[in-house]
Amino acid sequence: MPFNYKTELKQYRKYYQSIEPIFTKPSSRGYTTVIFSFLAVSLFGWYAIRPTIQTILYLRREIADKTELNKEMEDKISALIEAQAYYQQIEPLLPVVDQALPPQPDAVPFFIQLRNVASASGVLLSTIQTPTIPLVSNSLQKGQATSPPASQPAYIVTIQVRGLYDGVKSFLTNVNNLRRVVTVDSINISPTDTTHVSSQSALPSSRLLQASLELKTYYLTK
Amino acid sequence: MDNDRDLLLISVFTFFTVCLWITFELLKTVKTTTVSATTQQIIIPLSSKIDVDTLSAIANKKVY
Repeated sequence: MPFNYKTELKQYRKYYQSIEPIFTKPSSRGYTTVIFSFLAVSLFGWYAIRPTIQTILYLRREIADKTELNKEMEDKISALIEAQAYYQQIEPLLPVVDQALPPQPDAVPFFIQLRNVASASGVLLSTIQTPTIPLVSNSLQKGQATSPPASQPAYIVTIQVRGLYDGVKSFLTNVNNLRRVVTVDSINISPTDTTHVSSQSALPSSRLLQASLELKTYYLTK
Repeated sequence: MDNDRDLLLISVFTFFTVCLWITFELLKTVKTTTVSATTQQIIIPLSSKIDVDTLSAIANKKVY
């Protein structure tokens, strides 16, 4: 059934007619104006002004960030070019680093070096002792975490040398001057026990010294 | 009359709340960087200096 406004509107008249006296009061009219003004400003502020200002501020921030980024990128490119030049300059020296701090424990080459140092210094290398040494550095073993170790991996080598004062002194100097990174943890020098000296030695036993050294040598894990 | 006053208070508080909300949103926009974390990692400054003195000192040591 269609809505007939001429007849049926009368029944709703009482509602809007009852509102009329309220709006005739000046105080109510004022309150209503103020309330709707606040609500309108809030609504438009949230849905219209905020996105606009936010976009403006975002774009300004983006411009500032991109400008700074551009400058930092240029600095980094310059630094990379400079580093490449330095690298080419020091490239012949790089194998030296591997010799000083090998990527593997390289125990046998180290022992050979100690033996050669002893021969060059004129002392007798009588003992070499070492605890268990890994054959490969930890980073090459499967299943190992790739996080860097807390301290530089190293192993301890205990050696005993016998010789004259000058020889022992030269040996210590040469060990200190080895390219392989070695630290002397402890050293104990004592006169050689006369009963211990080989009868084949041409040196007088009273002048012989025996030095026990605890060396620590390092290797690299990547 | 009391009804009008209540509605006015509600609208005023709504207005101030919206104003504060807008202010904080705008402050957040200003303070938040637009550079991604990956880009920030890329632009970490690089020192191109290499300690040549140490390398030379190592090279001067002996291998037996």
